[in-house]
Amino acid sequence: MKRMVMAGVAGLLLGAALVAALPAGAQAPEEIPLAIEKNRFQPDVIKVKADAPFVLVITNKDKGPEEFDMAQPRIEKVIPGGKTVRLRMPALKAGKYPFVGEYHSETAKATIVAE
Amino acid sequence: MGATFVVTLREAFEAALILGIVYSYLEKIGARDGFRYVTWGGAVGLLSSVAMGIAVTYLTGPLLDVGPEIITVVVIFAAVGLLTWHAWWMQQHARLIGGQVQHRIDLARARNRLWVVGLIAFTGVFREGAETVLFLWGILAQAGSEAGWGSVAGGVAGVAGAAALGFTIFRSGKHVSLRYFFGITTAFIMLLAAGLLSNGIGRLQGLGVLPLSYPLWDTSWLLSDGSIAGGFLSGLVGYRAQPTLPEVCAYVAYLIVAGALFFGRRAPGAVGFTDPTRS
Repeated sequence: MKRMVMAGVAGLLLGAALVAALPAGAQAPEEIPLAIEKNRFQPDVIKVKADAPFVLVITNKDKGPEEFDMAQPRIEKVIPGGKTVRLRMPALKAGKYPFVGEYHSETAKATIVAE
Repeated sequence: MGATFVVTLREAFEAALILGIVYSYLEKIGARDGFRYVTWGGAVGLLSSVAMGIAVTYLTGPLLDVGPEIITVVVIFAAVGLLTWHAWWMQQHARLIGGQVQHRIDLARARNRLWVVGLIAFTGVFREGAETVLFLWGILAQAGSEAGWGSVAGGVAGVAGAAALGFTIFRSGKHVSLRYFFGITTAFIMLLAAGLLSNGIGRLQGLGVLPLSYPLWDTSWLLSDGSIAGGFLSGLVGYRAQPTLPEVCAYVAYLIVAGALFFGRRAPGAVGFTDPTRS
């Protein structure tokens, strides 16, 4: 039982650490809009500055939820239907970062290009 | 239909795997009455998933932006801890099983901790549960057309397929001798937990809590994460097509430490259970 309590405390601390870490280093990163409409991303190519964190402001205009799913860096984020989510993205090295909408991966495909 | 089948099969596979393992473990130690802990754990996991799915739909602002991810990461690390504890305990237990009589004695002792397998069942189901619920909900919402109903059927078939796989694991566990069962299951759990740990590390990188690094290699051309086989391997051994250095390090380090802990020589004094027949 004692161990469970300790594990619980550890879990809470981890959660608290996450919350504390999130606002750190947030010097008003650039906000980039992204829409989901008819199970597609709009636009499907997103250009961002390399080596600078940014925020994807994702609006799901569809009725159903969609999951933003990037393999690397490993980012998964559900955006409920009709909602807007602010997804903090880490600074990316120059390159192409494809992602899909996991719930409609045949149509919802897009790429972030950091340059 | 095919696409939704693949999604739910992949999402539900890991939960089915974990449930299959813990049920067959209980069956193996003759603790069928402990099934209820697992069933309750799984059921509460499912209800929590539905609750989380509903909550996510109503949340707004920062709670929606980061809340679900924090819960996911905490559940992942909790699952790693619980699985490790369970495997360690199982190894201690296996060492004492000499004959059937001994088996029963240990069992009586074991019952006191059966609620841990309930917790494992909970984390197993809850981890991917909320996503699966949202996904099924989404396709239900769009199920007006004929193709829509096909998607719903595919999604339900995927969950059923995963459940069938879990049941197959449970059935095959029955036929393995007790001696091998603990060894195989422990190895299985180690790979599962190592995969979960590296998954958690990867998510912390994605959340910006840990510094970002770049994939060491990319085997998506060979086996992509999105394929059925990739999904199975991801659930079984934590396969990733593009792992980062911290992910690989966490995976390897876990296997080394847990391997030494579970399969290394028993250190004097480090005995989890005393053997009543020898005193």
